[in-house]
Amino acid sequence: MLPLSLLRGAISHPVLVELKNGETYNGQLINVDNWMNLNLKEVVCTSKDGDKFWRMGECYIRGSAIKYMRVPDEVAEMVKADMARNKGRPDKRPGGFQNNRGRGGAGPFRGGGRGGGPGRGGGKSFRGGGAGGGGGNPREE
Amino acid sequence: MTSTLETFFGKKVQIITNDGRTLIGMFQGYDQTINIILTDANERVYSSFQGVQTVPLGVYMVRGDNIAVVCEVNEELDSGLDLDSIKAEPLRPIVH
Amino acid sequence: MLFYSFFKSLIGKEIVVELKNDMSLLGTLDSVDQYLNMKLLNVEVTDAEKFPHMLAVRNIFIRGSVIRYVHLPADEVDVELLQDASRRDAAQAKASAKVQASQAKSQQQKGGHGGGGGERAVVPAS
Repeated sequence: MLPLSLLRGAISHPVLVELKNGETYNGQLINVDNWMNLNLKEVVCTSKDGDKFWRMGECYIRGSAIKYMRVPDEVAEMVKADMARNKGRPDKRPGGFQNNRGRGGAGPFRGGGRGGGPGRGGGKSFRGGGAGGGGGNPREE
Repeated sequence: MTSTLETFFGKKVQIITNDGRTLIGMFQGYDQTINIILTDANERVYSSFQGVQTVPLGVYMVRGDNIAVVCEVNEELDSGLDLDSIKAEPLRPIVH
Repeated sequence: MLFYSFFKSLIGKEIVVELKNDMSLLGTLDSVDQYLNMKLLNVEVTDAEKFPHMLAVRNIFIRGSVIRYVHLPADEVDVELLQDASRRDAAQAKASAKVQASQAKSQQQKGGHGGGGGERAVVPAS
């Protein structure tokens, strides 16, 4: 389950957001984009020490300011069930990349991403370590 | 490239955050920036005066830039811990 | 990329990683990626008295950005090879900077100074 899929599944549910500055925001999630920027409505903001409160109708939170978010348990269950249902479709990829079929409108979800960079050819001299970085982890089950 | 987190799927993990908190939960997912989803998350609050307090949190999405380390919890070792007797100063925050 | 390759050559070796919260972790390097995120196996906290926070933990993933130091096993580091690779890397960087500079220069000569786009370039006589 991808973090952004979970958050998209949490739209129209109540969420708690803590920012890096310690403030927390409780409200209903209206929208979230690929940078985790959020729109909330019916918000209660709590100061870092928990001693001051502000109510606001609506607010926008920049994704990079977020420390963590809490979402209702049932949202995680719902998103998980959604994923299971979408499994076995033809274009499912092993890496678990989510597609957003059926959620019209949002446009392609996974834009640029990070390319592989210049690739691994970089250090011809350090070949050692058989396992190699990247995908070589044996899966422990 | 963060393929190293793949082996944590479905396991119990402990996240230490940049602000020094310890979160424990079931690892449900991550992305390339190491944002992580935990279900059944608990915070373990350490103190030098009393034993470890456990605070239930539910489903958490922790942003990658707030994560210092992700540990795979050995459940056998973990269930053998006597949390009430563990006293320690809270971890210091990460200072860049 | 040089240090990524360097750390890849240390996979399987024991290292100590000191974090920016003063915690030090001793373990076997299992993998490393381009951000120098590292995974260690059989980890022990070097000062377990002070940090009893990870008593039930053996395998851990460390975010590259929170690493302060990595203590390397001295006899596993080929210093000459590292120096060589660093020189080659530096030379390469210099060469590509040169190419970029000359490209930018020729672009400027062709394109005039008008940053604003538009096709008012002076066509060089040829």
